[in-house]
Amino acid sequence: MESGSAALGYAPLREPAGVHHDHEHPPEANRSSRVDAQFLGMMLFIISEVMLFGAFFTAYFFIRAVAGAEWPAPGEQLPVAIAGVNTAVLVSSSFTMHWALGSAKAENRAGMRAGLLTTFLLGATFLTIQINEYVHLGFGPATNAQGTIFFGLTGLHGAHVFVGLILLSFATIRAFRGHFTAKEHRGVEVPGIYWHFVDVMWIIVYSTVYIL
Amino acid sequence: MLNPLRSEAEAFRFLVYVSVVVALIVAIVLLVRAL
Repeated sequence: MESGSAALGYAPLREPAGVHHDHEHPPEANRSSRVDAQFLGMMLFIISEVMLFGAFFTAYFFIRAVAGAEWPAPGEQLPVAIAGVNTAVLVSSSFTMHWALGSAKAENRAGMRAGLLTTFLLGATFLTIQINEYVHLGFGPATNAQGTIFFGLTGLHGAHVFVGLILLSFATIRAFRGHFTAKEHRGVEVPGIYWHFVDVMWIIVYSTVYIL
Repeated sequence: MLNPLRSEAEAFRFLVYVSVVVALIVAIVLLVRAL
């Protein structure tokens, strides 16, 4: 039977005779019994990211609604059609991500690998098209306030896609090494939640910055 | 209640809902502007 102090999560001050415990490590941290540490970490990260995007959107709405500035700046044009195709590329990557996890849950390893690899390639395509768009825009972040906000918002999102690609590359490599089963697939699920968040943010960025 | 941070399936459903709602808002705004 456990002693009172051990039940509380720390070792007793005096060891019973003949019993030796190592005290080199602190007691195990308290954990939520409802949420896994990995999910909790991603949840807190995404909540903080929503606030970060909110700050950038505040700047955008400020110059359009409060300052009444033209969007985009006079003489400048945004490639709405190309960005629209890029939006379709990114949104379709969420479908392949969903397929990958569904395949993992169904023990369909080939489907999971194909889904993860396709998601990674679609994400990389999105980023490549966006960089190409930046090169051919004709204005930069220092040109005017509109340029600063355009590059700030789309660049912030691009950075998130880049982080998502790193997570996806880990998941894809692990999938090809035989990891993940129908029961243990957190390594696909957690990046999947992040990837859908990135897509949701892009839908809002594209519709406000490019269309409206 | 839908919680997009709970599981990938819920996050995906949330994405689909957001796509539909944003498409509707954009359509309404463009329609109002055109009138």
